[in-house]
Amino acid sequence: MNRMPIGQYIPGDSLIHHLDARVKLIAFILLISTIILTDSVPGYCSLMVLTAGLLFVSKVKLKTALGFIQSLFLFLMVIFVMNTLFFDSAQPICSWWIFHISLGGMAQGANVVLRVIFLMIFSSVLMATTAPMEAAFALKSLLRPLQYIRIPTEDLAIMISVAVQFIPVLMEETEMIRKAQTARGAKFESARLREKAASVMPLVIPIFLGAFRRADELSLAMEARGYRGGKNRTQNKQKPLRKQDILALLTAAAVCFIQAYAF
Amino acid sequence: MTNVKKSIFTAVCMALCVVLPMAFHSVQNAGSIFLPIHIPVLLCGLLCGWSFGLACGIIGPVLSSLFTGMPPIAYLPSMLVELAAYGLITGIIMSNVHTKRIYADLYISLIGAMLAGRVVAGIAKALIFSPGHITMAAWVTSYFVTSLPGIIIQIVLIPSIVFALERAKLIPVRYPQISRNQ
Repeated sequence: MNRMPIGQYIPGDSLIHHLDARVKLIAFILLISTIILTDSVPGYCSLMVLTAGLLFVSKVKLKTALGFIQSLFLFLMVIFVMNTLFFDSAQPICSWWIFHISLGGMAQGANVVLRVIFLMIFSSVLMATTAPMEAAFALKSLLRPLQYIRIPTEDLAIMISVAVQFIPVLMEETEMIRKAQTARGAKFESARLREKAASVMPLVIPIFLGAFRRADELSLAMEARGYRGGKNRTQNKQKPLRKQDILALLTAAAVCFIQAYAF
Repeated sequence: MTNVKKSIFTAVCMALCVVLPMAFHSVQNAGSIFLPIHIPVLLCGLLCGWSFGLACGIIGPVLSSLFTGMPPIAYLPSMLVELAAYGLITGIIMSNVHTKRIYADLYISLIGAMLAGRVVAGIAKALIFSPGHITMAAWVTSYFVTSLPGIIIQIVLIPSIVFALERAKLIPVRYPQISRNQ
């Protein structure tokens, strides 16, 4: 609970840090497609080279990008083992009761685990190199076409940016409440379901009360300053894309294309 | 409640979609048993209405996936459909049911949304996400049996949170006349 597995912004001076956030978001979507399209050994080798290049250019440490592994290790292991044991293969290596260990199952398990790992690394790089407010404005800009089907994108963008800013505050508050309840005798580590459920109740209600109190204060402050929803809100002109942004976008598109057709 | 307040409450519920599962994951296996991400979405639909509930149901899990990696992207679409349905349906039922008893309104909306959301999620899984792989027994097991402790916790916890918020005067009282007479 003390730290997020991924998603922490790390200020820096790399090429990726200086790219337009809209470009980074589009490139991220393209890279997700690349991961989904990959299912062969050469494909994963090329993804590994791409990841190494991305980490080098973004100056994000490998330790930071792989920070999630520790918290998700058990989850990834379960996925791998389940696929290995229960994959329906015509030629299992060995079979016992309902378990059939096969090469196909292992490959399938490794495929899923590798996809999750690459996805998390790319998410880490995106979040480590993009300030939350930049990401919110980029999202607002990318969502703009939805205005034509009457979706209030301005309001959505405000909600997302407020939510993103609330996350660290609420995490800190949650940790404080958890410690306070532990001091009062809450048994979070109990193995019994009833005790676990009983310990969850005094944790959740104060979290919601604290969060809604903050939200109430913020909305009052916003209304007092004349905010009446995003519809008629003015804003600074969005910066146009620069040469390096267009180049980065073309590179991501080329990588996606090559990965899809070559591997 | 003004639209600005509803927007900020929705934003907080979205943030809680990220924070609450992390708080629960610090309690062993609690995340999968108590379904913590459902709580802010259901609450948002109840308090702010269907449009805000829908937004929370879509954006909350996406933010959670981006920030914490849970739910993993592979499971995100099916979860997104389920949570969007919860947010949407609680809001619709809550705005249309007025029994003059807040308990009844809350439970009708909650249980109605929980059932309808699970049906929508099952249909989406059967038709889109894993066509041909989901059976009636698998649907009942995964959406009702495994998540039974989570369902019970939500039924107990969400009305308690609504009452606590009403008592703290953070949300308007639903039936002020009746509360005054009591």
